[in-house]
Amino acid sequence: MSVRTIVNYPNPILKAKAAAVGQIDAELHALVEDLVDTMHAGPGSVGVAAPQIGVSLRVCVIDVSKNRFGKDNNHGLLLMVNPEILSRSGAAVMREGCMSVPDYTGDVERATEVVLRYTDPDGSAREFTATGFEAVAIQHEVDHLDGFLFLDRISSLKTGLFRRKSYK
Amino acid sequence: MNSSTLAHFAVTIIGKDRPGIVADTAEVLFKLGCNVEDSSCTMLGGEFAMILIVSHVKPFAKKTLEAEFAVKNAGNGLSAYIRTLKDDEVCYRKPNGELCLVSVYGSDKPGIVYRVTRELADRGVNITDLNTKLIGSEDEQVYVLMLEAALPEGMSADDASQLLETLKNELSVEISVRLITPVSF
Repeated sequence: MSVRTIVNYPNPILKAKAAAVGQIDAELHALVEDLVDTMHAGPGSVGVAAPQIGVSLRVCVIDVSKNRFGKDNNHGLLLMVNPEILSRSGAAVMREGCMSVPDYTGDVERATEVVLRYTDPDGSAREFTATGFEAVAIQHEVDHLDGFLFLDRISSLKTGLFRRKSYK
Repeated sequence: MNSSTLAHFAVTIIGKDRPGIVADTAEVLFKLGCNVEDSSCTMLGGEFAMILIVSHVKPFAKKTLEAEFAVKNAGNGLSAYIRTLKDDEVCYRKPNGELCLVSVYGSDKPGIVYRVTRELADRGVNITDLNTKLIGSEDEQVYVLMLEAALPEGMSADDASQLLETLKNELSVEISVRLITPVSF
């Protein structure tokens, strides 16, 4: 149980596709605990994926219940092993930042509703629909497991007619 | 590298748009060993405008930059302006307050930019980005102003919206304020 150091880009682990977890054991439970501790230690952090602490496995934790955008619509603390987004719908733009890419933010379009399937640390399969900010957080974290950063998702420097400079 | 070992300059380049302005400017900077630390470049009307913060290991004189740009830009219609930055001008201060996007649009008339920005400035709102454009047909010109601003601590997006409410009627424009404070994952 410990707060781990967040790995920053250009560490190549952040651009790699993480491996699926084969078996649920004590090592996995320790990893999940470390992810939760690391998330709680990051100021305002609402999620951490295993590659962000240097472990290339498909595990991430999310909790948007204390965030102002997520507090009224969430599933509490989510501990996700091998998460899979089964479907996405809707679209909304939000300005995102990431602990692994300090001092940069950008507007990213994400689905507003996702259907998610994952295994919890007890080995039970789970499936549910997330909407709003929690859906955005899930897409951001699952992206980490596929080697995508929000920098890969910024689609344009212009918003309509206007140049949009991202706020540093 | 420690910033005090670096000399910083603000470089402004502007001229009639064509392919190659950025490449030509970057070539001058690269050959001099300058580093582009921050930049914003865009088309404005038919012009292309570049604003860059560049650094070079000290000692490095502004006139070296000026001389190289004078050679590169001779006869190509680009103008270059260079200013030396003091060490305390270089550091970036992250705002503590909320970040908002303010959109203003309506029939074109004098004073839209002035009145909106004066109102914000008087309340300590700090504009971080601003774009304006004249759109619409020739007989019905519409002015659009979009700005991003850091609100002073304690001011909400609703407060900022309230602050601009009276200008809506006075200027006959639409004004909306939207919270865009980034979320960090």
